[in-house]
Amino acid sequence: MFRFTLASVRGHLVRFLLTAFSVMLGVSFVAGTFILRDSIDTTLDGLFASASKGVDVVVRGSGETSAIVTGAPRGTVPLALQATLASVPGVARVVPDFQGTAILAGKDGIAVGTGGAPALGFAFRTDDPSFTLVHGRGPTGPGEVAVESVTLAKADLHVGDSTTAVIAGQAHPVTITGEVTFGALFGATAVLVDEATARTAFAPDGTVSTFSITAEPGVTQQALRQSVAAVLPATDEAVTGAAMTAENKSSVAAGLGYLTTFLLAFAGVALFVGSFIIVNTFSMLVAQRTRELALVRAVGASRGQVVRSVLTEAVVIGVVGSALGLGLGLAIAAGAKSLVRVALGTDIVAALPVHPATVLWSVAVGTIVTVGSAVLPARRASRISPVAAMRDDATPPARSLRRRGVVGLAFLAVGAVLLTVSVTRDSPSWPGAAVAAVLAVVGMLVAAPLAARPVVTAVTWPFVALTGVIGRLARQSALRVPRRTAATASALMIGLALVTGVSVIAQSVKASVADVLARELTSDFVLRGASSAGIPASIGPAAAGLPQVQSVTRTSVVGVTVDDVAASAVVTSAAGLADNIVITMRSGPLTALAGDTVLVNQTTATAHGWTVGSVVTAAVGTLTAHRLTIGGVFQDSQALGTEFVVDRSLYDQAVPVSARSDRGVYVRAAPGADLGLLRSQLVTLAKPFLIVSVEDGQEYSDSTAASVDTLLNLLYVLLLFSVIVAVLGIINTLALSIVERTREIGLLRAVGLRRRQLSGVITVEAIATALFGAVLGCLLGLGLGIAMQRGLRSQGLDQLAIPWTTIVTVLVASVVVGVLAAALPSARAVRLDILRAISTEA
Amino acid sequence: MARLIDSPIGTPAPAPALATDRVTPPAPSVIAAAIGLSKIYGTGDATVTALDDVSVEFARGRLTAIMGPSGSGKSTLMHCMAALDSPTSGRVIIDGVDISGLKDSGLTTLRRDRLGFVFQAYNLVPTLTAQENITLPIDIAGATLDRPWFDTVVDTLGIRDRLSHRPSELSGGQQQRVACARALVSRPAIIFADEPTGNLDSRASAEILGFLRRSVDEFGQTIVMVTHDPSAAAFADRVLFLADGRIVDELDDPTADRVLERMRGFELGGRS
Repeated sequence: MFRFTLASVRGHLVRFLLTAFSVMLGVSFVAGTFILRDSIDTTLDGLFASASKGVDVVVRGSGETSAIVTGAPRGTVPLALQATLASVPGVARVVPDFQGTAILAGKDGIAVGTGGAPALGFAFRTDDPSFTLVHGRGPTGPGEVAVESVTLAKADLHVGDSTTAVIAGQAHPVTITGEVTFGALFGATAVLVDEATARTAFAPDGTVSTFSITAEPGVTQQALRQSVAAVLPATDEAVTGAAMTAENKSSVAAGLGYLTTFLLAFAGVALFVGSFIIVNTFSMLVAQRTRELALVRAVGASRGQVVRSVLTEAVVIGVVGSALGLGLGLAIAAGAKSLVRVALGTDIVAALPVHPATVLWSVAVGTIVTVGSAVLPARRASRISPVAAMRDDATPPARSLRRRGVVGLAFLAVGAVLLTVSVTRDSPSWPGAAVAAVLAVVGMLVAAPLAARPVVTAVTWPFVALTGVIGRLARQSALRVPRRTAATASALMIGLALVTGVSVIAQSVKASVADVLARELTSDFVLRGASSAGIPASIGPAAAGLPQVQSVTRTSVVGVTVDDVAASAVVTSAAGLADNIVITMRSGPLTALAGDTVLVNQTTATAHGWTVGSVVTAAVGTLTAHRLTIGGVFQDSQALGTEFVVDRSLYDQAVPVSARSDRGVYVRAAPGADLGLLRSQLVTLAKPFLIVSVEDGQEYSDSTAASVDTLLNLLYVLLLFSVIVAVLGIINTLALSIVERTREIGLLRAVGLRRRQLSGVITVEAIATALFGAVLGCLLGLGLGIAMQRGLRSQGLDQLAIPWTTIVTVLVASVVVGVLAAALPSARAVRLDILRAISTEA
Repeated sequence: MARLIDSPIGTPAPAPALATDRVTPPAPSVIAAAIGLSKIYGTGDATVTALDDVSVEFARGRLTAIMGPSGSGKSTLMHCMAALDSPTSGRVIIDGVDISGLKDSGLTTLRRDRLGFVFQAYNLVPTLTAQENITLPIDIAGATLDRPWFDTVVDTLGIRDRLSHRPSELSGGQQQRVACARALVSRPAIIFADEPTGNLDSRASAEILGFLRRSVDEFGQTIVMVTHDPSAAAFADRVLFLADGRIVDELDDPTADRVLERMRGFELGGRS
């Protein structure tokens, strides 16, 4: 029986390969994700290892490690502690870690890009084991810097060159005196200054975030930690270097975990789509081999043997497809790696590790999906009775679509109603909406064959009108087995539904943002920082000093935690705020904002029963158990996007000076001001800081929209995989259906159908299938996208925008997809020998 | 297209007489001919000579049957005549056109506009209705349907009440009648029928053969039919006998008995 299986695989090699390809694509996504994750992991290990080289104990202020999330930094440690630490027995070396932002201007005068990673500044110490001086010498005065190798290369500068560096918000002309190497920096840049400069720039208040301590030989990290902890005040803590590394790793690992899950979700979609192709292929192969399988049964094979024979084929396809997928996954990871290199100018990874777990997962996922998809067709094959071998008409009768249609439509209707109810409630029920969405998608998949007739008839109408019999033959072929056409189209539908849905959300986000900015932002100019470093604190006051400026509002962010509310509070001052940002007060005046008196938004106030005058205990930045008074309640604001507004004086108290920066500076011009002139003055002001941009309201709105588009394009690329799988499916189905129709094609050619006309028939059939999938996909995507927007309307997504351009593009692209998919099968069909085709057994 | 001016082939035929009696023109013109036709399959030791220098002419407005045992080359002869297969050597002339020089596109046009086909296995398009199947060649050509002629054909074949049915809803005999209608409706120069009754019971066979006979008699249609059934051959005006790729005998105005007799004769002769 195994030989029979192998012969059947060999006999249908092309179909076999096409099916294996669809498995391959899905698996490659899985494998690529794992390989990329592992290689980033390896790189991180190297990064942390080199950063903690020679660091046995770290002394730091107390606070939450999850500070990244809430924006609340740890407290700092006074420099004065150094002498105390140095006297602890077992301490060989203790240094304050001067660290802050240092942005380097490249040869072109523009800041060296970090791709969102930080621009780091450190103190240069000759005995620091975490870096190596490879060229030149270390900086010795305020006008000198040493630069990390990759940063230097990206800046297109060399040792000895002069440039500008913005160190802790201050622009300095500098000369590059040396080049150093670190472990991988993940796109971050690094500039080193001499210790005195570092102290002035990064520890202006006489505190640093950490001290690094090296142990004397023979002293363990644990022992040293205990001796150090003994001399520390209660507000500070000591941790071992190993614990610090583990802590850093785990916080990054969480982020990496999200990334992996995110990518695997798309891999899952591609595999799900692929399973449709596999089910379809096996169903068609079984149908075509009915007579052959019946014969095998007639000569004594049991049902189990038939099932096993089909499943063995599936195993072979699954394993081969998975192996190919593993290879392609490696190529994808390599591609992603070079993309990162182009984007960040640095390698994230030294190698692309293929761990046994990656191989195991890839092969297991690919094989299980393939075999699972083949189970139903295999069972159908086993139900073929031996007598079918003797019958002339061996094709099984078409089953009625009515029951399937009714079930599908019922699912769809229940899903739609439930979805509508879930998202239109005042507080949307997302679990309910998710269940409803799944119901609707399943309903759509089940009912799709029922939609085949009307949709295919409609989309082929132009072809029938133009080409007459060619279009009609194509339409009839597409409608011959509605289940098959629907399954083929469904594969495309899923990918395109996601494209459309994502596009609806993105378009709505852009429209909503534009709308909010138009309504709530009344400033004439917005200054923004290009990196996480934000805007140096000196720019705001400088802007306020310009002659034509009426008022300037500076905003920062600080973590505020009250009871269960962990918020990123907006920091600003009441003066001039009303000129730049529209805030509607529900109670209390805007001017109440001062000192420990804060403003809270309507939703939070209502939920906690806070009113003007309420006193709450909060953690603000490094302050714990701080008493805040509610001075006013404002209507939820999209422009602010926060629960709390706190005063700048509180921020200065809660955040160490080295960690302070502005997130945005809003400038309102005086009435009758020359806006062009003001802009050029602001640009002049911002320019030395390299990374601060000046935008008017429209530009601000546009650049916000552009960042949405960047994300959208990334999602499109990820969804492209499932679309490619779907196209393979169309090719597969067409190729198989041409085999089934060999005799008919022979006849058509015999009675005078030209080769061009025949390939026209097949192309129109492919276009009809692709358009069928695209139409259903767009409808489904629109439905889900609109539902999502409705549900998120209270979260700021209050404008619904339908991405008509995307929808038209999807429909046009699906026509192109149809043409491409038809190329191979139609080339085969026109080459069929008429005589042989016409006498082929059905 | 090379028209052979000097050849009698292709001279205009007298208008088909719509007489009720059997019309036999005094000097029947030739509508198709094979000249020195050979077909060799395979190479080396495995060569099979399916046709061995066959020259034959087919008269306009006549029903010619081609008979012979399996492997005699009768199907190959028909396929070469019908532009479905290309001969190894020799020429085929259809309605004044030497088809040997035609490329696929020319051959396709020739089949579409001048030839009709009836196959043993009916070969209807399963997704099209009977009517759509009948008009298929005309639709493919983008030509206009001659409605009165269509009605005549459909009524003659008695399939008017089946026009909206799909092939799967028709009996074998009905399907073959639809196939006959498809062949007739474009008024081809010749209809090639390949074992048209091979899949039918005797009653349906007799009906189909009767229709083919009537289309020759009443419409002046030229038909070439391959069969191995002597009683089918008896409907023909002339029977050609093939054996081992050669024409070994022929018979005018055959009856089933005479055909059977001849066949027995040369089968025995072939064995000796």
